[in-house]
Amino acid sequence: MYGQGLVKGLSITLKHFFGRAVTEQYPEQKPVLSPRFHGMLALDAVRCNACGTCANWCPNGVIQIESVRDANKKRVLTGYALDMQYCLFCGLCVESCPQNALSWTQDFELACYHREDTLHKLYQAEVSQVEAASGSE
Amino acid sequence: MENLFVNLEASLNRFLTATLPGSLPNLAMALASVVVILLFVLTNVVWLVYMERKVAAYMQDRLGPNRVGPRGLLQTVADVLKLLGKEDIVPVAADKWVFKIAAVTVLIPTIMLFAVIPFGNNLISIDLNIGVFYFVAISSTATISFLMAGWASNNKYSLLGGMRVVAQMIAYEIPLVFSLLGVVMLAGSLKMSDIVAAQKDVWFIVLQPVAFLIYFIAGTAELNRGPFDLPEAEQELIAGPFTEYSGFRYAMFFLAEYGNMVAISALAVTLFLGGPSGPWLPSWMWFVIKVYVMIFLFMWLKWTLPRIRLDHMMQFNWKFLLPLSLANILLTGIAIKLF
Repeated sequence: MYGQGLVKGLSITLKHFFGRAVTEQYPEQKPVLSPRFHGMLALDAVRCNACGTCANWCPNGVIQIESVRDANKKRVLTGYALDMQYCLFCGLCVESCPQNALSWTQDFELACYHREDTLHKLYQAEVSQVEAASGSE
Repeated sequence: MENLFVNLEASLNRFLTATLPGSLPNLAMALASVVVILLFVLTNVVWLVYMERKVAAYMQDRLGPNRVGPRGLLQTVADVLKLLGKEDIVPVAADKWVFKIAAVTVLIPTIMLFAVIPFGNNLISIDLNIGVFYFVAISSTATISFLMAGWASNNKYSLLGGMRVVAQMIAYEIPLVFSLLGVVMLAGSLKMSDIVAAQKDVWFIVLQPVAFLIYFIAGTAELNRGPFDLPEAEQELIAGPFTEYSGFRYAMFFLAEYGNMVAISALAVTLFLGGPSGPWLPSWMWFVIKVYVMIFLFMWLKWTLPRIRLDHMMQFNWKFLLPLSLANILLTGIAIKLF
């Protein structure tokens, strides 16, 4: 019969008219992200042994690690920085970390006004700590 | 409440006759009704632009304008201010005078249509004894402004859009008028107040459902609204006849478009939905409610259906709507003769 499709279409739009909007009003209303969301990286500096695996795996050379050798010739982390302007959030660093020291956070608001601000220092040891770790006499 | 506007008019009339000499009060009263109609059209257009965006948004599971003012109510005001600030461009190759005049003349028939609309009991500017005929005659002159705009722009999109407007509006006017004839035959008069009075017991939409459907479809085509928005098909013609217009000239076309929508809905209310009558509420409020029900129907249709193809549109009109409306007239005549 003529007009059947018409009525069907009209009923669908009417249903949506009274349905809920899916719009997320972002700045006021934060999105609910999946637990596996790739946001900013977080470093557990206590676990990290500065092996440098993450920096080696990183395809874009985002990760900059500074370390010193302590009295037992063991590597100690003194600085950990991410040049986020090059990061593609692939997650190879997190996957590769043997100590599970790297993890993802839900923080996705990484926009900034200056290029220098894209450099995120996740860990920076104090000068005294560095000296103590390097076992300077 | 019922006689709010009638009383206002009467007191204004008394005041004017007391203060002004000779025939000036009559002139002033005529001007006053023009101003009132203009205000009615403008406020409705401002609201309709907002409503259209909200309806579209809700049907697409969005929120629509919600930033400017409470619930985005001032969105249209912001849009108008933006349009006021735009550069007024007249293309070098355009036919300048026709181009400029078209933006003005497009609004004139729209405003004139409201002269014969009964907004409430005793709320009609001029109750012509050929009211329906006047409405049909004036509304068909809107076509020429679109053609003027399309031709004067000296642009292929504008011209194609203008040609399509003419083809579409002239074609669909025929079933539109024929659908009105059924109502006129039942009421036995072209006078708006007589037609409203004839619907005291039963609305003409009950007696003339086919005529209402034809009127609704042809009205959508007359308004150049989706699914009959071929003249301004964005994907092919940019904006049809309005392509070269900017700033407030463009706003005039917008104004006319929504003003026409109010007018066509108002005529549908008068002829099919019992006019401004109803229980409990004042008549002018019923009129506004019914008009907005009609406008919602137009919007609902627009945001549901995709654009119809040009040849399908023509075929639908000449091969389906026109015979149907003729058959409707014939059946109405037979029924009148029998009962």
